[in-house]
Amino acid sequence: MDIYLPWWAAGAALSFITLGFYITLHRPLGVSGSWARIVLWKNDRAIKQAEAPFQDNPKLFEDALMAATIEEFGEQKVLDFMNARNKHTGTDVETPTTTTSISPNRSPWTAHLFFLIMLIAGGVLGAYLRGGLVIQTTLGELHTSLFGTGIGSLMMLFFGGLMVGFGTQMAGGCTSGHGLSGFSRLAPASIIATFSFFGTAIAFSMAAHYLG
Amino acid sequence: MRNYFYYGLFGLALGTTLSMSGFTDYAQIHSLFILQNIPLFLVFATALGLNMIGFMIILRNKKLPKKKFTKGTITGSMLFGIGWALTGACPSIALVQLGEGKIAAVLTIVGILAGVWIYRRSTTKSLQFDTGICGEE
Repeated sequence: MDIYLPWWAAGAALSFITLGFYITLHRPLGVSGSWARIVLWKNDRAIKQAEAPFQDNPKLFEDALMAATIEEFGEQKVLDFMNARNKHTGTDVETPTTTTSISPNRSPWTAHLFFLIMLIAGGVLGAYLRGGLVIQTTLGELHTSLFGTGIGSLMMLFFGGLMVGFGTQMAGGCTSGHGLSGFSRLAPASIIATFSFFGTAIAFSMAAHYLG
Repeated sequence: MRNYFYYGLFGLALGTTLSMSGFTDYAQIHSLFILQNIPLFLVFATALGLNMIGFMIILRNKKLPKKKFTKGTITGSMLFGIGWALTGACPSIALVQLGEGKIAAVLTIVGILAGVWIYRRSTTKSLQFDTGICGEE
């Protein structure tokens, strides 16, 4: 159970996943974002509802744009502009097709849910490849010796998870978004974030290990 | 449909790799955090190094919007760091641990869901808190 891939192979695989994800899905890998999309699943429905009339009739979108333009500049100015443009080109210029989606590059929340479910499946496969699935009620001997097995240790897991959830949303990313995707693109915010979470985890664990 | 395929594929690949690299084992991650696990550190460093080279090639002529620094970046990351040290889990690891048969990870998962929900509730009430959704930039 304790046999792992050599560090270079595991590192190369993680890199392959980060880059492959970006190439195929055109967005950086970020697991904390998937959690947010699942928790905010109702927003998807609201966006869909707002977009629905425009999806059915793209002309509505152009009309809405035109109405807003007229409201901003006045009808005469818009008419003058249209006349000048038609005179200039001689023909009626075809309006470029506008996208009817507010968020064309957005995946549905169910795709993010599928992503997280397949992470669980990856755990099953990984455990199987390392020598078999073992059902355990704890996180292992060391966790038990540090935190015990009682209700206190279970609460610790819940509140730890709460900090992971709240903290990664507040920071705008986690180990994958800031660490693997952001840091390697040399985004200053991601470099700061990565040092912050690793640094804090190290300080906290050192204190628990040597003082506790 | 194409997106579902890739989300599923990379989810499975990421879960399997994390499980086979040691990141899901509490003892391994704890020894990393007390600076006694060089191999696990090298896994992350290797991935980071290769990603730097990879992104340099992929993004040669492209300018991608970079993650923005907000007032939540440091505070949020520090909270995450404590949570990670306590549970041995980051947002993906908790799920992989469950898949490996570590039932206790369910509590971490419920905690993460609650944390994300509380944060998102607070941002809908006050936009000042909104720091964006990872991967949506």
